[in-house]
Amino acid sequence: MKKAYALCAMAIMALLFLMACSEEQDADVVDNHKTVFVEQPPAYPVEPLPEGLIWETNNDDPVFSSPDAKKGGTLRSFVYSFPLTLRSSGPDAGGIFANYVNDSAMGLVAIHPETANFIPSLATHWAYGKDGLTVYYKLDPNAKWSDGLPVTADDYLFTNEFSRSKFIVDPVTNNYYEENIASVKKYDDYTISITGTSKKPRSDMLYYYSFGPTPWHFHKLDENWVRDYNWRVEPNVGPYQITKVKKGKYVEFTRKQDWWAKDYKYYKNRYNVDVIHVQVIRELQIAFQHFLKGELDEYWMPWPDYWHEKATGSDYDAGYIHKIQFYNDTPQRIQGYFLNTDYELFRDINVRCGFEHSLNIQKIIDELLRGDYERQHTIFKGYGDYTNNQIRAREYDLGKADEFFKKAGWIERGPDGIRVKDGKRLSVTIDYGQDNLTERFVLLREEAKKAGVEINLSLKDSEALHKLYRDKKHQVAYMALGPTFRPEFWSLFHSDNAHIPNTNNYSNVADPALDDLIDRYRFGTEEEERKRLARETAAKIHDLCIYTPDYYVPYTRYSYWRWLKLPDFHGPKMAEYLFPYGDFGLFWIDEEEKERTLAARKAGEKFEPVTIIDTRYRVK
Amino acid sequence: MSIRRGYWSAIVLVVLLFLSMFAELLANSRALIVSYQHKLYFPSYGSIIPGRVFGLDYDYETNYRQLKELIQEQALDGWVLMPPIPYNPYENHFVKGKYPPTAPDWLQRHYLGTDVAGRDVAARLLYGFRTAMAFSLILLISNYVVGIALGCLMGYSGGIFDLLFQRLIEIWSNVPFLYVIMIIASFVVPDFWTLILIMVMFGWMSMTWYMRTSTYKEKARAYVSAARALGASTTRILFYHILPNSVYIVVTFIPFSVVSGITALTALDFLGFGLPPPTPSWGEILREGTDNLHAPWIASSVVAALVMVLTMVTFVGEAIREAFDPKKYTFYR
Repeated sequence: MKKAYALCAMAIMALLFLMACSEEQDADVVDNHKTVFVEQPPAYPVEPLPEGLIWETNNDDPVFSSPDAKKGGTLRSFVYSFPLTLRSSGPDAGGIFANYVNDSAMGLVAIHPETANFIPSLATHWAYGKDGLTVYYKLDPNAKWSDGLPVTADDYLFTNEFSRSKFIVDPVTNNYYEENIASVKKYDDYTISITGTSKKPRSDMLYYYSFGPTPWHFHKLDENWVRDYNWRVEPNVGPYQITKVKKGKYVEFTRKQDWWAKDYKYYKNRYNVDVIHVQVIRELQIAFQHFLKGELDEYWMPWPDYWHEKATGSDYDAGYIHKIQFYNDTPQRIQGYFLNTDYELFRDINVRCGFEHSLNIQKIIDELLRGDYERQHTIFKGYGDYTNNQIRAREYDLGKADEFFKKAGWIERGPDGIRVKDGKRLSVTIDYGQDNLTERFVLLREEAKKAGVEINLSLKDSEALHKLYRDKKHQVAYMALGPTFRPEFWSLFHSDNAHIPNTNNYSNVADPALDDLIDRYRFGTEEEERKRLARETAAKIHDLCIYTPDYYVPYTRYSYWRWLKLPDFHGPKMAEYLFPYGDFGLFWIDEEEKERTLAARKAGEKFEPVTIIDTRYRVK
Repeated sequence: MSIRRGYWSAIVLVVLLFLSMFAELLANSRALIVSYQHKLYFPSYGSIIPGRVFGLDYDYETNYRQLKELIQEQALDGWVLMPPIPYNPYENHFVKGKYPPTAPDWLQRHYLGTDVAGRDVAARLLYGFRTAMAFSLILLISNYVVGIALGCLMGYSGGIFDLLFQRLIEIWSNVPFLYVIMIIASFVVPDFWTLILIMVMFGWMSMTWYMRTSTYKEKARAYVSAARALGASTTRILFYHILPNSVYIVVTFIPFSVVSGITALTALDFLGFGLPPPTPSWGEILREGTDNLHAPWIASSVVAALVMVLTMVTFVGEAIREAFDPKKYTFYR
């Protein structure tokens, strides 16, 4: 017995000790981005630069920031959960927080958010090789890491080495580099080339055969990398740097006062606030209460209930809080229903098409979403000429659904009104992961009953759901996937990925004609040809009834306190967000206005209420 | 005093329970009676009646509210009698020009308004009450059957068996049951019966302690020895002789177990680990209500209902406890 007590006491002591240790690690200020971990520069060979390169650049596109912008102030923002790591690759990297970090990462080139042309970023010039696979870049010699060291060719060659390393435990990144990047070469300290694995049109090469630098002097790549670098702040090249971390509570980004690109044409008057304070608030509701109290400066609210019901009240009426709804024109997410053709009932195309005609998505939009969202008609929406705007998604139509079902032999209805055939019910399960979608699916379910289709709803937690989808055990996968630079059909619809777990072909579609289109698109080098193929592929996907697009949000919108200022034009055409994260840093904080507003609020003085609806870029 | 309070509470509860058993007749989108072309229809139970039967142009279930209006407007031969709440707990009813959740509206017969998906709150409350009561009663019976049987056995046999089970129960009761449910719910969506099974697995223990002590006590009485001398089997002694003498313990616990059953289900549903959507349940309504405080009718209805039912059940419990209290009703004051 005594032994047991002693053991218990020891365990408790150990626990206390561990707790004390972990507390110590929660140091407030972070400055290890200044530490140099590797002294010896990597010995990358220097190659001779080929003759006859034609260097291009683009300094003619319009400026997209406001000259009125003032520097200074602190923007208070929030995330749902504290990041599990500050690394940008390896296990647990990614998530919402990664967007904040990515905002401060830069690439060789950037895309102009109005014209969609490439503009210089870390590279000042670029040129295309004769082989159709290589892009040459002239690096900006002024570019500096946050620790003051210059960004050189070695940092890009190191990215290539780093991303292929097994030490970063990131198979996705490893694969991407293995499959897409053939080689990276250095010609002098400020000239490099990147060679890809497949020929692409020029504009695509600039996107796909381009990446950001990685500071070789910071990363000691060995088997301990993942652990050692979990909370180390990497030096970066962008306008902000993480300066404070309080684990579980907040992360603070501070603006670099003498950022190397601050006077550049495309970077002037951007990234204006001094500090971005990102706090952890786990509940949307609670975060909104914080916002209303003035403890957060802006609140992103695409949801109709927030915009129409919750974002009202005295602070709005008195003009202390402004609202903006900004319609944008940018590649949209893929959001919709992938019908698994491996599911017994969905093997018949008629059942699939009938099912699509039984989904009353328009009613969800009209009744539950107040008509704010719009129906997406095709899988890749907002990709310019790559989008097939001729396609109309199958609308809710009991007559057409009936026709298709009858063709498939589902004629009779059971006692509860659901179609039956050979003793089987026309029953489909939708697995989904977000509780707040339930009300929408409930509506689908009730409406589908009229067509004689039973929809079962299965709410799962995200781990279980993704396992189900990855194993392709679902009947209908309800997915939302982020937008890409160009439509990418191969992973989603090519037979290479059908019936194989851990791939993205959620419809398990294996159609020779579709494969042919996808392959021709994938390996095409002519831009116009590829645009045509992308449109044809989308049409083919529509014809096969394997994917039903859901709605999309045609705007970005916010409530924000009146001291936050936006340019007169509010945002560029492709703005997905107007405030962090993922924005272009165009807004600023007017400190005087802030004092005035707070004083007025205390005294009960009122301003004009402001609600901006910017429809310049609304896509009809 | 508290006995009388409990008595009335019990009557109200039984009436409510009885009514909720026929919820289909109280809150339903199906009509109670339809008279159409001199023929009577009773659609409440059984198969659906497609719209074509009533001369409408569709094959799915008749929308009786529309049929009623149609008959009135066109002065057709017939009539429709709708239930007091003419909505079922699943259907989304949208009022023109308004977006859900809509406030209580007597004209539309949404007595407690609608929820975020346009479903009638009163209907969902009623069906949710039935689910909650059924759940807690079934849970109670299952818990008690296991708990009483094992408790009696432990008390009666004593020795190693008793010791072993005591330790087992001590360990088992320390398993955090909410976590277990969350873990299980992450790979299977629990339906009504699996939820009961899980809850029984972690709920049978408390009853064993009381039954064990009481059996220990009764075991030493003369009537048990007498029964044993007459050659009665262990089962017979346990369930025919000892159990009726310790049943007062069980009875006093019943109302409180009902309360804990209802709250457990509500809590689980509130957290999203309970019955799969769109099953009407109080926990789910409560969560919707707290998420949409700008629509106070959702939260206030369900909170009022919860408080009322739980208080009444507790009143019943107090009354029973008092009625069985030997200090109050004894000749030896």
